[in-house]
Amino acid sequence: MTARNLSRLGERAFVLVMVAFFLLPFLWLATAAYKPSRDIFSIPPTLLFRPTLEQFSTVFRLFDVRSLLTSSLMIAAGSVGLSLSLGVPAGYALARSTSRYAIGAAYFFMAIRMVPAVAALIPFYLMMRDVGLLGSWVSVVLINSMLNAAFVTFMMFLYFRSLPKELEEAALTDGCTLFGAFWRAALPAVRSGVIASALFCLIFSWNDFLYPMFLTRLDSKPLSVALLSAFGTKDITWGALGALAHFSTIPIVLIVLALNRYFVQGLTKGIH
Amino acid sequence: MEFNRDLVDSAAIFPGRAASATSASGAALSYSDRRRLFLVLMTIPAVAYVIAVGVWPLTKGIWYSLYDYSLLRPARAHFVGLGNYADVLTDPVTRQAFFNTAIFTVCAVAVELLLGFAIALALWRDDRFNRMCLALILIPVTITPLVVGLIFRALLMPEYGLIGYYLAEFGLSNPHGLFAEGPSALATLIFIDIWEWTPLVALILLAGLKALPGDILEAARVDGASATQRLRMIVIPLMAPTIVLALTLRMIDAFRIFDTVYVTTGGGPGNATNTLMLHAVKQGLEFFNIGLASAIANVTLICIAVIATGFVVLFRQADRRAHGR
Repeated sequence: MTARNLSRLGERAFVLVMVAFFLLPFLWLATAAYKPSRDIFSIPPTLLFRPTLEQFSTVFRLFDVRSLLTSSLMIAAGSVGLSLSLGVPAGYALARSTSRYAIGAAYFFMAIRMVPAVAALIPFYLMMRDVGLLGSWVSVVLINSMLNAAFVTFMMFLYFRSLPKELEEAALTDGCTLFGAFWRAALPAVRSGVIASALFCLIFSWNDFLYPMFLTRLDSKPLSVALLSAFGTKDITWGALGALAHFSTIPIVLIVLALNRYFVQGLTKGIH
Repeated sequence: MEFNRDLVDSAAIFPGRAASATSASGAALSYSDRRRLFLVLMTIPAVAYVIAVGVWPLTKGIWYSLYDYSLLRPARAHFVGLGNYADVLTDPVTRQAFFNTAIFTVCAVAVELLLGFAIALALWRDDRFNRMCLALILIPVTITPLVVGLIFRALLMPEYGLIGYYLAEFGLSNPHGLFAEGPSALATLIFIDIWEWTPLVALILLAGLKALPGDILEAARVDGASATQRLRMIVIPLMAPTIVLALTLRMIDAFRIFDTVYVTTGGGPGNATNTLMLHAVKQGLEFFNIGLASAIANVTLICIAVIATGFVVLFRQADRRAHGR
């Protein structure tokens, strides 16, 4: 009995060490934004410090934070909206179809996600140049949504496939149209899948910087690109960088912690 | 069948719906035809979109890769056949990028798998403590890879980074930091990837552990099998499909590594940490060498396709062995 307790204690200790390992670097960044510049790199690190907003005021002075946030939000919202409206119906149709092409199509969507980003980016860059969309966040939404819609289709395919057909059949006998059966019976039943899909699209498009780096201009660049260009500049301190990074990490971390159930479920659903 | 007749009846009762089901030629579509048409219409937008914005550019990429095409002198573009691919295979910089990518992928994924499995085993028991720890452990997965790179660059700076300072001080690293020498820079990149993605591997494996049949494990325990024996003879064989899946996903992602490398080393020192994706981005969008960059991107794509196919075969075998299918 004691041996068992001991191994359980060991388990707990190991888990705590791992939590510290994965959390501390992030906490360093999160606190750096509130430390006065001289405290950020003090060795040993100061645990007690007088929190200051001086880094944030630097950031607001040097960057047009509002415009950066707007671009990031536009890209994220556009990408989530477009990907869901394309991917959810397609996932449903593929899951309900008895055609032998349906499974093939579902795996085609999964395969699209594995394409290295540059392979599509270079020709896409030239295409956008030709149609005059280069430099606007619309082009970023377009290419992000391609990868995201493919992902959503495959994920919703898995969700709908594990949903019993009886629900829609009952709706149909009650006089629903085919679309009504999808919209009013099937879709509410996979709400958690839709939330998980939206969460992944959000994370992906908010965090991505390769596409916006080459597809946006100065006035349309999102936070991630500003962060990268700030990094190379001499007069920007690590504290200011930490404060700027705050805007690009904290919202997502908070949303994911709040919706953790859906996040975990979605991550594992994609696998099983 | 019962069900179909109901619907035909309901169509007769509601004339509006019956009219909408009438095709242009005037012949009424049967329920199953209508249903098929409906499903096709639901799929078309996504398929058309992915083809227009994904498959079409990729096809053009194959086309570009056959040309000596530079944006700096577009008028002089000319067909070179497989010339760019020959360059990719013989060019020492590309070859080094390939080996760097391969070493990076194998080392990072191997450690992620082992550490992830240990974490999954430790979190197996479903209680409040473990659920909370899982939520916290997953934070690195959600952080912008760009910011991950920045965090570790700051922590590892030899002058005043919290970790880098001590490493340099005690002679554990080059006095100019871990990123100053090729091998240690690549090892550091591997470490960063491990920090970022082990939580995801742990989560995937944890889901697999929770799906294991409890009665078999219980029976083994009653029969007196030790924890190690149970792990080796029951858990790992039954988990094989999940392990292969986690491996596949991570290998495909690791092979496409770009973000963290770009912000930490930029491929340097020299080309010691150059990876295939980084090389393609630099060639294509910084030097505007579209033909060569497309060839590099396509070679990366082929490598990924080979990895994926290999693992699908492995997965089928593991699945058959684990589930007797």
